Amino acid sequence: MPELTKDQKLALYRGLVRARKYDELNVRMASEGKLLTFYHSAQGHEAIGVGACSVLRKDDYVYMHIRGHGVPYAIGKGIDPKNCVAEHLGKATGWGGGITGVHMVDKENGVLGVGGTIGSCFVLSAGYALAAKKRGKGQVCVCFTGDGGMQRGQAHEAMNMAASWKLPVVWVVENNLMAWFTPFCDTSAVKDIAQVAKAYDMPGVIVDGMDVFAVREAVEKAVKRARKGEGPSLIECKTYRFRSHSEGRPDACHNKLRPQEEIEKWKERDPVKLCRERLLEEGVLTVELMDGIEREYAVEMEEAEKFALESPYPDPSRLPEIVYAP
Amino acid sequence: MKTLNYWQAISEAFAEEMERDETVFIIGENVQESPFMITKGLVERFGPERVMDAPLSELANAGATVGAACAGYRPICDLTFADFIYCAADEVLLKAAQQYFAHNGQVNAPCVFVGVAGGGFGTGPEHSHVPSAMILNNPGLKLVLPSTPYDAKGLMKAAIRDNNPVCYFFHKKLMGLTGEIPEEEYVIPLGQADIKRKGSDVTVVATLYMVHHALTAAEKLKDEISVEVIDPRSLEPLDMDTILESVKKTNRVVIVDEDTERCGVAAELGQQIMEQAFDYLDAPVRRVCSRNMPVAGAAMEKYTIPNADQVISAIRSMVE
Ligand SMILES: Cc1ncc(C[n+]2csc(CCOP(=O)(O)OP(=O)(O)O)c2C)c(N)n1
Repeated sequence: MPELTKDQKLALYRGLVRARKYDELNVRMASEGKLLTFYHSAQGHEAIGVGACSVLRKDDYVYMHIRGHGVPYAIGKGIDPKNCVAEHLGKATGWGGGITGVHMVDKENGVLGVGGTIGSCFVLSAGYALAAKKRGKGQVCVCFTGDGGMQRGQAHEAMNMAASWKLPVVWVVENNLMAWFTPFCDTSAVKDIAQVAKAYDMPGVIVDGMDVFAVREAVEKAVKRARKGEGPSLIECKTYRFRSHSEGRPDACHNKLRPQEEIEKWKERDPVKLCRERLLEEGVLTVELMDGIEREYAVEMEEAEKFALESPYPDPSRLPEIVYAP
Repeated sequence: MKTLNYWQAISEAFAEEMERDETVFIIGENVQESPFMITKGLVERFGPERVMDAPLSELANAGATVGAACAGYRPICDLTFADFIYCAADEVLLKAAQQYFAHNGQVNAPCVFVGVAGGGFGTGPEHSHVPSAMILNNPGLKLVLPSTPYDAKGLMKAAIRDNNPVCYFFHKKLMGLTGEIPEEEYVIPLGQADIKRKGSDVTVVATLYMVHHALTAAEKLKDEISVEVIDPRSLEPLDMDTILESVKKTNRVVIVDEDTERCGVAAELGQQIMEQAFDYLDAPVRRVCSRNMPVAGAAMEKYTIPNADQVISAIRSMVE
């Protein structure tokens, strides 16, 4: 792969900071009781969505994972986070019109929706890829899911189908070692999810999910392959969630709290920090620039909150109109 | 008597039945930590072999439940959200429901599928439904819907002891509700309705959280209309006799159901009442149900599921 340009590197860093700031806003609003629905923090996971989406075209599809309710992926695709904030406040300007709670959609940017049932993403994303293949314009679908999602039958059924039909889909599994409050090692026969790819005769790679550059590189390779009609890939990103499964819930594992030392240890490899250190060292980033970026997104999130708070609620008379398409 | 809340009552039923019968075990996602509390404290007491954290696969968990039940155990499968029963449709609707029939009454599946149902938290589609009609449309399954801590405990014990697959949906909005529970052991047989409030002008039939809307309505209307509130507690088996007796007394009936109106439980009950007590009816049976749409999220949820005001106006319209 050619070395990334300075601008490309900076764009990755900006994406990470923006996703983090957005997450921090949601965490705060959840603690203030402002969110009308749940919130699953993405802190620790940002490099995956940001890195992967940095190689996509506007007309590619993404199927978003619940972490950050899709924002780390969506911003890379061009979506405006203020509409995400609005949705969580149940406002008409939200990306589900204030009706869905969390089933966000931005068709323009290739986000056709998000499922409430974990793991359902696999088969639907195979369907997006099937459409992409039929259309023949080189579109791909990148589907993000957790290690929990991998345990559903759909994952395997979709992989078999996509691999036999060479569908242009890339499955990016965010293995954060936990599904809700259950550790991955308790419920998985394999240590590395990537090895499942062997069963379907497709590439399966393991990536450092804290390193936005590594994620970008792996996804870029898989996307190229998919665009050429060579079929699906499975990318396992090793990562960690820094906060509890969802806001307001104890950060438990089995029936104990997750060990703080473990969390701190992973935080040493915080994806935002890793990227910042590298770019500072390379001279791509300066302290001034860094502060500027921080401020820019802090202001953006303040504005997003204000926008959401001031937006109107949807008109409930719309509800019957959206049960069936005309 | 002691005071327990709704989830504690369910948890106590699990513990007592696990104590009583070695073949009872719990399987499901996060049952050791229990996002909905109902299995709280059980792993410490019974160990991880009987409180099994399972993979994120409702289908595998439900299927293993049915298989183990057929082979002599009495498993409880925690599906977490009741909506996720759809993810396990093959195992619950085809395998569990039809096991006994399909094998000429030679193999049965004594197990319980539990899940938290209903709205109240704005969690939107796929997380807020009460999928009861779908269960009833698959004969072979029993269906329990408790509305109080007392009922929750007694009915859970009956469900675990039942020789059939039982779906037991508890409600998000009832989790913290407290109530009196006898110190001594008790079991509430499935198929016995409970008259939650006596009255003589209008009968309201309701389950789960809707019972509380009905009681609120009855209380608000008490100076104008005498409302009888009946909670069937289980819809299969169904205690139609208690409902009919009440209808014969009041001659008017409103059915409140948090499941979707179309082809729902209320339609079924209304039709049965019409067939069996038509001559006693002074007015058409009325329904108050969730609207014919998915449950909306966030601020729009309240426009899709029933509320107490709707129950009040339905009752009023019966006597005008
Ligand atoms: C089919 C289904 N089962 C269970 C749930 C409840 N649930 C929501 S998130 C989650 C854990 C998902 O774990 P994973 O896929 O590893 O993603 P992570 O939360 O770790 O990012 C569970 C069990 C669900 N939404 N859908």
